[in-house]
Amino acid sequence: MSGPSLLIVEDEDTARRSLADYLQRQGYGVDQASSAADAMRLWDAHRADLVLLDLGLPDRDGIEVIHRIRREATTPIIILSARGDERDKIDGLEAGADDYLTKPYATDELNARIRAVLRRVGGPDSDSPGCLRLGPIELDIVRREVRVAGESVHLTPREYELLKVMLSHRGRVLTKARLLRAVWGVAYADESAYIHVYVNRLRRKLTAAAAAGGATLDGLIETEPGIGYRIADA
Amino acid sequence: MKVLWVRAGSPRAARWLVIAAASGGAVAAASVAIAIVGLFGATHAAPVYLLAVVAVGMRWGTVPAVGTSVAAFLAYDFFFVQPLYTFTINNPDEWLNLLLLLAVALVIGRLVASQAMHAAQVAERAREAQALYGISRALAETHTVEEAAPIVLHRLAADTAMDRIWFAVGPAPIDEQTIADTNPGVPLPVPAWQVVLQRPPGEAEVRWIRSHVATTAVRRRTDRAVVYRVRVEASGEALGSVWALRSRDERQPDRAETRILSAAADQLGQAVVRDRVEFEKTNAEIARRSDAVKTSLLDSASHDLRTPLATIRAAAGSMLDDSIAWTDADRREAFEAIDSEAERMGRLVRNLLDLSRIEGGALKPELEPCDLDDIVGPVVKRARGTTAKHIDMDLPDTLPPVLADQVFLGQVAANLLENAIRHGGEDIRVRAVPLQDWVELTVEDNGRGVPDAALPRLFDKYFQAGPPSEKRRGMGIGMTVVGGLTRAMGGEVQASRSSIGGLRVTVRLRPAPMPDPTDGDAALSENAADAQPGTTVRSR
Repeated sequence: MSGPSLLIVEDEDTARRSLADYLQRQGYGVDQASSAADAMRLWDAHRADLVLLDLGLPDRDGIEVIHRIRREATTPIIILSARGDERDKIDGLEAGADDYLTKPYATDELNARIRAVLRRVGGPDSDSPGCLRLGPIELDIVRREVRVAGESVHLTPREYELLKVMLSHRGRVLTKARLLRAVWGVAYADESAYIHVYVNRLRRKLTAAAAAGGATLDGLIETEPGIGYRIADA
Repeated sequence: MKVLWVRAGSPRAARWLVIAAASGGAVAAASVAIAIVGLFGATHAAPVYLLAVVAVGMRWGTVPAVGTSVAAFLAYDFFFVQPLYTFTINNPDEWLNLLLLLAVALVIGRLVASQAMHAAQVAERAREAQALYGISRALAETHTVEEAAPIVLHRLAADTAMDRIWFAVGPAPIDEQTIADTNPGVPLPVPAWQVVLQRPPGEAEVRWIRSHVATTAVRRRTDRAVVYRVRVEASGEALGSVWALRSRDERQPDRAETRILSAAADQLGQAVVRDRVEFEKTNAEIARRSDAVKTSLLDSASHDLRTPLATIRAAAGSMLDDSIAWTDADRREAFEAIDSEAERMGRLVRNLLDLSRIEGGALKPELEPCDLDDIVGPVVKRARGTTAKHIDMDLPDTLPPVLADQVFLGQVAANLLENAIRHGGEDIRVRAVPLQDWVELTVEDNGRGVPDAALPRLFDKYFQAGPPSEKRRGMGIGMTVVGGLTRAMGGEVQASRSSIGGLRVTVRLRPAPMPDPTDGDAALSENAADAQPGTTVRSR
């Protein structure tokens, strides 16, 4: 098998087959499961490099599959879910999924997401030790300094922590609750109303600095309406 | 004199009244007459007795007046007719005098009493009429019993001198729900017995009857108060009760008060029936309209779904036809058609889903502060990728965040843009400005717009844009969703003629309250450990 191996968990036969067909042609090795039990069996037999998981499975909740995989590995998981199931998506991301796609999705979008999460896991870490990067953003953990396109940016402690968490999760979707937990603590996970004010304040500072340095932050930290933030993996 | 409260108009009470009034009157008259004779040596004290009869008649009515006449006759005989201090009469002249005195007393007593009664009745009727007029007006000026009842009860309490009145609806006292009370908040009494107004059908006299209350509730002392109940009925159906409380030391409701209470109960009963009819009428209308909406939606939805389906089937079918040699360019064109039509169907299904949630009331927005450019910006960017039309966007950095649901807001923006792209001209403008109490987002185009008359109804559920033959063509559903989602977020939506020629849709949302700027976060600190866990986040 040439490319990375994928496990597709989807109970709808036609959808699963055409997806598997497409991905095989893209050069991936593909395992197919139509139920949670199938998925577990295939996961045990052959650890895939990435799992595409439909949450609506006939036998068990897809979230359980995520929990099971997360107990054993950090293998990237992308949730496939219908629109309107925002709660499901959030639950899946909270359970440890890396990203989600809303059905019906375009194949090029799917491709881009798969490549992004695989790059995060498999690709060589371009960060030098003690330094996190995202596009033109550099965060020096040791010196607690942030630079965008070479321009120094002055951040408040919380903005700094927020950026650090984001930069540590490139190629992933972070829920608002997760960001709150990471920056403010567990007790604040439900107070999602204002996270966005802080994120936007941070984004403005970074964007201003990027503009001054002749760079752009377009698409690096994107709002996922109702879910949280998608961090690019540039 | 005090009426025993047990039963109004009982013979025992009346008898006591007569005896008390008559003997009182006679004794008073005798004392005055003796005083006059003793002091002034007057020989004829008879008129003093007549005065007593008049006084008693005016105050207590015919029977006491007649009693007083008889008592006066005896007293005069006893004190002033020879031989004095006996009831014997020697002189036949005196007989005549005495009998004349009695006759005159009787006639005057009756006349005075009936006159007084008449005057009292007139005053009573005037009071009743006034009270009933007030109640009728309260009922006429309000729309529902809930609105009218507090006004009616306060009037009623004043007009009937009750300490407290409350109105409850329900088929039986145990099921009754209090809908108005002159002393709201004060616990209702749980008496061992109550006095119920018996209202037999027809002309028969109404009566207050004491009855025991069967209840399992823990009884509170009613503080020497009597609970009166007037049943509220309409067409023989029990609808509820008007309850009233009056101190046990007070008399029982008099005839006028009883009539007012009784009439008020009837009026409230009619109002309850009126409300019920109104409610049923509204429900029927809602059902009728929602049927019309469903039909209209089904019509447009099936049309809108069938159009892309037809394209998809045609494109896929021709690709499957082996007898035709397709060029790569042909094939690509067919697949692009399938792709874009499938996307169109996806948008329609999304809107239908939202619409059914709006209709079903299942739409619960998660309101949080959102920056418009954060949500609307990406939508505009995506829309630019699907059209050759020019979309100009101006969402200044200085806009305050709005209180919105991110998903709803995204959908509102997407629908407005899709509508402008499909029905508008070549130029589309997206703008946002902060107002006093709102942040205003406008999407406008330079197309042919919508007729002025149709503008106010653009977001209506039953509105069909264009002539009937054109039906809604997807526009109606998208706009209905815009209206529903915006209102669900506590915002306003409005359609008007754009200054650049076409349609302008204005969506107003509330600005979000900003976090407290005194938050520790606002102060720049060299040390991240200084950051205290989100005081701001909690302090809203």
